[in-house]
Amino acid sequence: MGALSILIFLPLFAAFLILALPTSLKGSYKYIALTFTVFQLALSIYMYQQFDPTLSGINTIEGYQFVEQLPWIRLDLGRIGKLEIDYFVGIDGVSLPLIVLSTLVMLMSIGASWHVEKSTKGYFALLMILNMAVMGIFAALDFFLFYVFYEVMLLPLYFLIGIWGGARREYAAMKFFIYTLLGSVLMLLVIVGLYFSVVNPASGAHTFNMILMMNPGNYVDGSFFGFIGNYHEVFGVPSRLIGFIVLFFAFAIKVPIVPLHTWLPDAHVEAPTPVSIILAGILLKIGGYGIIRVCYSIFPDIAADTNWWLALIGVISILYGALNALAQKDLKRMIAYSSVSHMGFVLLGIASLTAEGVSGAMFQMISHGFLSAALFFLVGVLYDRVHDRYIYNFRGLATIMPTYTVYVAIAFFASLGLPGFSAFIGEAFVIIGAFNAESMLTGVPRWMAVGGSIGILLSAAYFLWTLQRMFFGQTRLQGGEKWRVALTDLDTREKIVLLPALALALLLGIVPSLIFHHLNASILQLLNTIKPYL
Amino acid sequence: MNVSITDILDQIIASLPLFRPELLLIVGFIASICSALFVEKRLKNFTSGVYLSTIVLSIYFLCAQLTTSATGFSGMWIVDKLSTYARLIIAFAAAIIGLFIQQRHKQDNNGDVYSVLLAAILGMNVLCNSSNWMLAFIGIEMVSIASYVLVGYFSKQKKQAEAAMKYALFGSVCAAIMLYGLSLIYGLTGSLDFQSPQQLQGLMVAPEPIVTIALLFVFVGIGFKLSFVPFHVWSPDVYEGAPTAITAFLSTIPKIGALILFTRLYTVWSSTAFYFSDLTSGFLLFVSIASMLVGNLAALRQKDIKRLMAYSSIGHTGFLLMAVFAYQDAFQYLLFYIVAYVLMNLATFIFIDALEERTGSTALSSYAGLGRKMPVLFTAFTLVAVSLIGLPPTMGFMGKLMIFSAVFDTYQMADEGIVLLLLVVGALTAVISLFYYFRIPFYAFLRNTESLQIGVAKSQILLWVGYLLTAFVILLGLFPGLLLNLITA
Repeated sequence: MGALSILIFLPLFAAFLILALPTSLKGSYKYIALTFTVFQLALSIYMYQQFDPTLSGINTIEGYQFVEQLPWIRLDLGRIGKLEIDYFVGIDGVSLPLIVLSTLVMLMSIGASWHVEKSTKGYFALLMILNMAVMGIFAALDFFLFYVFYEVMLLPLYFLIGIWGGARREYAAMKFFIYTLLGSVLMLLVIVGLYFSVVNPASGAHTFNMILMMNPGNYVDGSFFGFIGNYHEVFGVPSRLIGFIVLFFAFAIKVPIVPLHTWLPDAHVEAPTPVSIILAGILLKIGGYGIIRVCYSIFPDIAADTNWWLALIGVISILYGALNALAQKDLKRMIAYSSVSHMGFVLLGIASLTAEGVSGAMFQMISHGFLSAALFFLVGVLYDRVHDRYIYNFRGLATIMPTYTVYVAIAFFASLGLPGFSAFIGEAFVIIGAFNAESMLTGVPRWMAVGGSIGILLSAAYFLWTLQRMFFGQTRLQGGEKWRVALTDLDTREKIVLLPALALALLLGIVPSLIFHHLNASILQLLNTIKPYL
Repeated sequence: MNVSITDILDQIIASLPLFRPELLLIVGFIASICSALFVEKRLKNFTSGVYLSTIVLSIYFLCAQLTTSATGFSGMWIVDKLSTYARLIIAFAAAIIGLFIQQRHKQDNNGDVYSVLLAAILGMNVLCNSSNWMLAFIGIEMVSIASYVLVGYFSKQKKQAEAAMKYALFGSVCAAIMLYGLSLIYGLTGSLDFQSPQQLQGLMVAPEPIVTIALLFVFVGIGFKLSFVPFHVWSPDVYEGAPTAITAFLSTIPKIGALILFTRLYTVWSSTAFYFSDLTSGFLLFVSIASMLVGNLAALRQKDIKRLMAYSSIGHTGFLLMAVFAYQDAFQYLLFYIVAYVLMNLATFIFIDALEERTGSTALSSYAGLGRKMPVLFTAFTLVAVSLIGLPPTMGFMGKLMIFSAVFDTYQMADEGIVLLLLVVGALTAVISLFYYFRIPFYAFLRNTESLQIGVAKSQILLWVGYLLTAFVILLGLFPGLLLNLITA
């Protein structure tokens, strides 16, 4: 069992341990979860150091590291041929930073769960299963395995939102589940289609191996998703385009793009703080990761054809999300919409098909990962104390919670893209990429880059306006004296959770090469795969 | 036909070994009648012992037949792998249902129920092993009559008697229509064997309107047993009215036999290029899509878990018909889905029954807040629900994946739009089904309720069987090879 498998299945072991311990030891559950997650983070950082950044990955199996491949399911299904499913995991420059991010965000989420009282056994067990599923998604290189982890992720989330959530939790949990499942059942059909179109040259059997799906040479001539001699059409639309759209739809729901984003504000608002942290910090990234790993790598030809539309969707998400954030009166909802806007940059960057743009998109995902986690944690701090987060119910918080205000100010400035912080690097690279796209002839016009820049402006507006409304001026609270007593400043635990995220935002803002260095080879490889079709 | 009587006798005697498991069932049937009449009063539960040993012995004989592939009784009786495996699944399910009844109906049980069950199983075996319309009709009637009796057997309330009555009325009408259709087919072709070239040729040359009527009439009878749309209307009432143990029986065993018969029929009848083949495949596609849609959409509005399961099983029947559509030479995925379906349904009804015993209700809302009081039961129930939806890592998902693969393969070759529609409907109904299956954990875990009185379960054995089935659903979902390699070998 290699390091990657340990990383994936360690949380599962923790979940079983928590389930096996009697309820009389319930005080120990959070420590078990914490210990395992700390160990996971240490392991992922170790892997980050061991990683060889010169290897590219993407569509070459040699370029992947920490690879493990075991035959899992081998079935002879007669006429349909042999079913060949592997336990096949490995990481490249695209997945590795996201894995490190996930372990960090998971740790923050455990820190945020410290005071959960309601059925802790189930809570931490579900959190650990979710952890396993997320690691599995980022590491899986077999499409079947990927899909299994992708679906397994939904169940713990449903219960985490549904049982430990806010007032309208039942509605939010169901909505979230339905949206994601709608995307993924259609994805299953495309997976089956790809399976029949691709043959493993070594064994002659059809395969779910994603790496083999990325090589045009492995496609059967005339098969449904075949590269060459593909006459298949569905209602007049070429089958490969349909496949791309279905997969993009599934991941776009996760990102989320406008207009498929409506589950996100509900899920975020109703979810408990730790789950909001995971939703924003990790799950939205699965969407971006899926587009790069699956849509763009398996359908490079269609990616080159459709990137204008994807970039357009990205720009719309940036602007629409920002305008919505501006209009929100609930602090958590505002941050949820800011996520929509910030994830729009990811889509714009990926669609620009330039090295700067795609690297910027990856960087934006990492940066948004821990910054949004910090933001949701900060909202949780307020909500824990007075059970209210309506922006207009607070005024002049700076005088009674000075340390909290400093943390909020840093997190807000970092998120709005102030130079020196990580979000600036990510957004700037995306915009540079989008500007260059026209001269690189990838089909993304300059005005889209302008649209993205306006988004940065808007994000400054809503963050600063919120800061002004809630924290500055004369102290005036809706709940009067009772609230003033309840609103104590940050305690040590909260500072410990927040510090690494904010420090990382500053560190990566100053030394972005920490991430770029590991990304570069993989991004170039991805672009080289798409370039012939431009 | 001038065959001498000795030749006929020789053939019958030579064919007897093929009939061994069924002979055993007949012996068991008579033995359990005698036992119920004479022994049951003195020795309680003796008949259930007779029943279970009959089933176990028949499993033994079936295993001996695994390598056999032959026909007997002048081609009336087919023994092949498909039939043997199907009968094994039936016997396995029958054992669990016998245990179910034995545990649940201790007081009001005088032992007759086991002989009726054995008769039903015999009928199912006949359906699995025949390509002759005469035998098929006898099989269907045996199962039907036994089912009518079973539904009304434990009836104490008006509702149960009403369910039995509805079932019997609807069933007899369907049987009559089917018989009429069969007589038309016999009249047109002069043959009762649907695999015989004579019947196929007869159907090819027969006028289209009369073929249409004959075929549709025949499908009515099969449709009644499989309860696919539009012959499903009886099932929600009957499922709700019958005792849970009997509902578990109705939702699993009768479907297996009818499905195997339909598979045999469909493979032969859809293989030609003539009108009746087009009609058969068109009908199957239509019925499959309609069943998935109607079953899943109607389930959304149900408030009673047993009614919900009735609609859910209509939806699953639609899915099974998809497997029949794609069936060509390999039956593994069909059997795999049948096994998955049987395991999931038996586990579900065991859980429903355990809850009914404690809360006295089968309303979904009665589960409110129970998740915290019975965490293990509801976790297992939720896992089974996940499998019924068809999400990984469960058997329901593997089964669906294999059927999708088989249908997609057909689509890739034929390139017909309706097949793609079939696939898309199959995938989308999974999303619809999420809504109603997740009402179970929704009520159990997400809803809170004032502390209510929960009775103590009398039988733990049954619950453990339920947990065991759940474990199999997960295990075979992760490692389907364990089962499939067994089937292929």
